[in-house]
Amino acid sequence: MVEERVRIINRLGLHARAAAQLVKTANGYQSMLRLERLDGSATADAKSILSVLMLAASRGTELLLAADGADEKEAVRALCELFACGFGEAEP
Amino acid sequence: MSERVRGVKKEQRWSGLSVSDGVVVGHVLRIHTGARQVYRTSLNETDVAKELRRFRAAVRLARRQLLAVKARAEKELGADHAYIFDAHLLMLEDRKLLDEVEECIRVERANAEWAVKVVSDRFLSVYSEIKDDYLRERGSDIEDVVQRLLVALSGERPGYRQLTEDAVIVAEDLLPSAMAELDLAHARAIATDAGGWTSHMAIIARGLGIPAVVGLRDLYRRARTGDMIVVDALRGEILLHPSQQTIESYQKLATSEELARVAPTDEGRGSLRTLDGVEITLRANVELPAEYEGVRKFGARGIGLYRSEFLMTQRGVMPSEDEQYEAYLEVAELAGEDGATVRLFDLGGDKMGGLALENERNPALGLRAIRFSLVHEEVLRSQARAVLRAAAKGRLDIVLPMISDITDVRRARRIIDEEREALLKEGHEIGPMRIGAMIEVPSAVWIADSLAREVDFFSLGTNDLVQYLLAVDRGNDEVAGWFRSLHPAVLESISHTIEAARKASIPAVVCGEMAATPTYAVLLVGLGATILSMIPASIPRVRRTIAAINYRDAEAIARASLACESADEVEELVRLRFSAGWPHLFPPETLPAPKLRE
Repeated sequence: MVEERVRIINRLGLHARAAAQLVKTANGYQSMLRLERLDGSATADAKSILSVLMLAASRGTELLLAADGADEKEAVRALCELFACGFGEAEP
Repeated sequence: MSERVRGVKKEQRWSGLSVSDGVVVGHVLRIHTGARQVYRTSLNETDVAKELRRFRAAVRLARRQLLAVKARAEKELGADHAYIFDAHLLMLEDRKLLDEVEECIRVERANAEWAVKVVSDRFLSVYSEIKDDYLRERGSDIEDVVQRLLVALSGERPGYRQLTEDAVIVAEDLLPSAMAELDLAHARAIATDAGGWTSHMAIIARGLGIPAVVGLRDLYRRARTGDMIVVDALRGEILLHPSQQTIESYQKLATSEELARVAPTDEGRGSLRTLDGVEITLRANVELPAEYEGVRKFGARGIGLYRSEFLMTQRGVMPSEDEQYEAYLEVAELAGEDGATVRLFDLGGDKMGGLALENERNPALGLRAIRFSLVHEEVLRSQARAVLRAAAKGRLDIVLPMISDITDVRRARRIIDEEREALLKEGHEIGPMRIGAMIEVPSAVWIADSLAREVDFFSLGTNDLVQYLLAVDRGNDEVAGWFRSLHPAVLESISHTIEAARKASIPAVVCGEMAATPTYAVLLVGLGATILSMIPASIPRVRRTIAAINYRDAEAIARASLACESADEVEELVRLRFSAGWPHLFPPETLPAPKLRE
């Protein structure tokens, strides 16, 4: 099991487009991938778009990304990259 | 039905907001986009497996439809408008949704419709509690997908395929997917209960030249498919069950409207002059790729306003310099030797899809347009580089939006010059590129004389000018009555700006919606405008009107309007003088309605 803290930096938060990107990427890995709000108020399966959207993670939200499985390290690296680049969105 | 046609039903009138001009008489085609009624039935043990198969088949059908919608949207509206369907597809594949629905069918022996409804309501209720406005609004995506699933389950084809020649689409709201799915070639007009000027539907309707009126509250509930309907988007009015007399008067108007929309013949493409020989140039305003076709089709002399912010996906992804370069190159090629004017990103406020950047209290007066580009300098730099590079291969100019102070122009110009130098050093080929200023803020009107010495041309954005000058939010229905394009202060500002440009020998392009309305276009010409830029579909109509008038007459009316004291007075003047001077060009329906005296 690998855990990593991530932070939403894109302006619109985890909205439909960003969530779609996240879920598509997550689905490329076998590992179980979970996102949890740091305050523990909500968790989401990173492979389910409805679940990810329901995190209602706006800009500035911090999440704990947990991966468990054969490709857990690669999965975490790929997802962390997405968060770090703000899902490729403009960063005003 | 026949009773209605015979006029037994009383004529009913709705007023709304016109988001795309034109007049159409036709028959209603109701398109259901709101919630479907769903009933619960209990299944026998033996039917459960069958119901599960039915559900999975519906999911597959919905998925195929969505893939087709996505492909179509990519082609017609550009990838930026299509990404949302990726999210919809993922929702249809979402194990959480599918598993819960299947479990509901299995455990509660519910029919698939009911199970979909119960499960999706559960998701939506969580959504409705989200505090972030933007994220909460994404609930509409789930609804969109759920509706599609319910339609697939019902075995109906999405009803809107059967568009007849004169279908007037009436709906509560048209979501992006419904819009992408419509065979818009057969849609004569659109009337919706909800929606606004910047809604997805409005943008597309304008681009395709389909008359549309929004904000009609309960029209959808009252109208029935097949009902006669008049859509008068010149006045923002809808008439349901029009009387025979009404139909006849509108049919005449609609025919002349339609004639005016017909693509020009070859001689309709040459230079345009008033009867007394004043040359007027008509250019095109474009934003979406779907509109590109109209530029040539309607005989525009190049592109007077390219709204570059639409390059950003609707939801805020900044395109790279190379992506922008490709886009500007395409626009330059489209515009040909007449060239195109790229307006720098007009970001902020309403243009961010209804989002304030940082929850600004007053986004219309906030960090937007040129201010945004100056604060986020890298945005301006990459955009300037992309235009400069594309200008090496085609004629391109840029215009700076929302200039309120000459310092804005100087700062932007310095940055652009730096990038010009940098590009040359890097060995890039660059082209000549003129820099203009949008005149849309009252302060810019007041300093127009000095601004005219600093820029290569003016672009008058009449929509924002009216909004800022009269302090009226154009998106707010409550104050719609105060939004008066014919306010004497508006006309005076336009006149002053054109005069300042003339004195400095620089061109002034009028590119707001006023230019697209024949009545206003004539007034603008009278005020001295010689270059008008508008949505392509309006060009033939305006062209026809201007070719049939004398500049002298237009100037006399314009001068008289400048002496008026109120918008009411200007409208009255326009109504009287236009109907007296050009009754064949301006039937009463096309002119401002007479004020009711109390």
